[in-house]
Amino acid sequence: MARFITRRLVQAVLVILAATFLIFLATFALGDPFASSGEKAVPPDIAQANREKFGLDKPLPLQYLIYVGNMVRGDFGIDYDQHRPVSQLLEAAVPNTVRLAIVAIIIDILIGVIAGVIAAVKRYSFWDVLVTVIATLAIGIPVFVIGVVLVANVSGWGPFPSVPRSFTVQVPWYQEVLLPAFTLAIIDAAFIARLMRGSMLEVLRADYIRTARAKGLSERTVIGKHAMRNSMIPVVTYVGVSLGVLFGGAIITETIFQYNGVGYLLSRAIVNSNAPIIIAVVVFSVVAYVLISMLVDILYAFLDPRIRLS
Amino acid sequence: MTTPTSAGGSPADADATGSAMVLPGPDAAAGGTAVPLGSRGSGQFADIRRRFVRNRLAMVGLAIVTVLIVLAIIGPYVTPYNAFEQNLANTLQPPSADHWFGTDVLGRDLFSGIVYGCRLAILVGLLTVAFSLLIGLTLGAVAGFKGGAWDGIIARFIDVFLAFPPLVGAIVIVRAVGGGVTPVIVALVALGWMTTARLTRGQVLALREAEYVEAARSIGADNRRIVMRHVLPNAIAPVLVYAFTNIGVVIVAMASLSYLGIGVPPDVPEWGRLISQATPFLRVEGKAHLWLAPALAIAITTLGFAFVADGMRDSLDPKLRGGN
Repeated sequence: MARFITRRLVQAVLVILAATFLIFLATFALGDPFASSGEKAVPPDIAQANREKFGLDKPLPLQYLIYVGNMVRGDFGIDYDQHRPVSQLLEAAVPNTVRLAIVAIIIDILIGVIAGVIAAVKRYSFWDVLVTVIATLAIGIPVFVIGVVLVANVSGWGPFPSVPRSFTVQVPWYQEVLLPAFTLAIIDAAFIARLMRGSMLEVLRADYIRTARAKGLSERTVIGKHAMRNSMIPVVTYVGVSLGVLFGGAIITETIFQYNGVGYLLSRAIVNSNAPIIIAVVVFSVVAYVLISMLVDILYAFLDPRIRLS
Repeated sequence: MTTPTSAGGSPADADATGSAMVLPGPDAAAGGTAVPLGSRGSGQFADIRRRFVRNRLAMVGLAIVTVLIVLAIIGPYVTPYNAFEQNLANTLQPPSADHWFGTDVLGRDLFSGIVYGCRLAILVGLLTVAFSLLIGLTLGAVAGFKGGAWDGIIARFIDVFLAFPPLVGAIVIVRAVGGGVTPVIVALVALGWMTTARLTRGQVLALREAEYVEAARSIGADNRRIVMRHVLPNAIAPVLVYAFTNIGVVIVAMASLSYLGIGVPPDVPEWGRLISQATPFLRVEGKAHLWLAPALAIAITTLGFAFVADGMRDSLDPKLRGGN
């Protein structure tokens, strides 16, 4: 087990380093942030001073090494626009994104698993068709369509705060998180419902289900205990991946709802090519994704000893 | 490729061989010796086709996809107006006989815009998935067949690209490469080939030790021939199903990029762009068609490809019927 975990850790670190380097390259390709462009004329000496201040006068590989060195110590530099420490911006945004991700995942699992189980148990019934059609539709509709429709028709009504909010209004986080979480959850729940239905149908054909029924267990026990537990495996995998993605920030949803998470931070940074923020948020997303998938792998290795040997 | 259809040889059979993308593999040659079932032919391709045709949703999907592709090809020649032509004196008109879907914020004919957007969506969807397939199949086959160091290196590559938040990665790439349709395709391919590679690798790994591979080797076939003629044809079924599902995902991804104002130029009537331009009118009475039309266009397109993919999966492997 220890060897398995060590190997996964080493892999995770390598993946994070490689991804950081790639995003570094990509933002480098965005161009020189301090050059004169359009109506913005920058005197050469000031541009040079800025480049030196941000370390952009050094060769790219050196910049990268310095960045990684600082990053390990939790220093993500300062942003180009207002010279704020990026680590502080992240600190403010990350908790919001984590809350959003967790609430969204809970809604996901609840709706997805229940809908999937009903569809599988009552196969070919009205409910099955309804779940299948809604799930397929939900996957086909882009998240921003769901988001803007909710903003236009639901926000500002009942417990849902209006978007955009005025600065004077304080909204508790659990109200603020509701609509974006629901938006994110719709598509994921549809995937989970489909996964759950498929996997449940397969499990229901298994011999041990027939055995359970044959020895007279109630249908509730057969479905709730035997069938459900065994058909959760693909769902758990999907939820793991999904959580990793969600922790990285939902750029579109957060932007639509002006929700102050890393996704919204990133979308504002992209608009004005604020590279230090872009790099930091992407690094955060990558680290979140890699760590969570590593945890899921290790969890599996605990649950299923066969995986460790492969 | 084996000879999948037996007697018959009707045009329908030829069509089935040509369009069915799953090759049954030499061990299925036995299927070729099965008793011919009348003129409809037998063998695995015919079976697959028959199962596909009997699947109502799959046929609906196929009809949608066909219409979309025809529209994408002939669209600009049959639309009543130039999709780009702005008429600022005639903006936001309601649907009418002149303008079937009305006109948009810039006074463009919305119907022509939707049709142009269809061309763009189909073009980007198909090209992106084709390039992703090319990369994914190649890397996956090499990783699965060669194993060892090749496998390790390619697996790490896949990990790195999978770790990127896909949309964010695409945004950064498009911003770095520049606006336009080509950078969008480049970005979507760069972040879209990994699952194909993984699927292919798994399939190839499982088939590498198959008896017919051993047989091919024993008669002196080299690696290249074994992979191209024996392993890949048998491995490709789930990969193609995934690719078909992915076309819809790619179309949604492009729309998301343009919704954020990234990628195709602002004056192009791309579906996501049309939706973002209609957003201010979400609450305005009688203007719902402005965003509803492109939103429905995206949803119908995605559904069409998803139905076809589901149907392909079910007809390829009837055991999975009713699966997820």
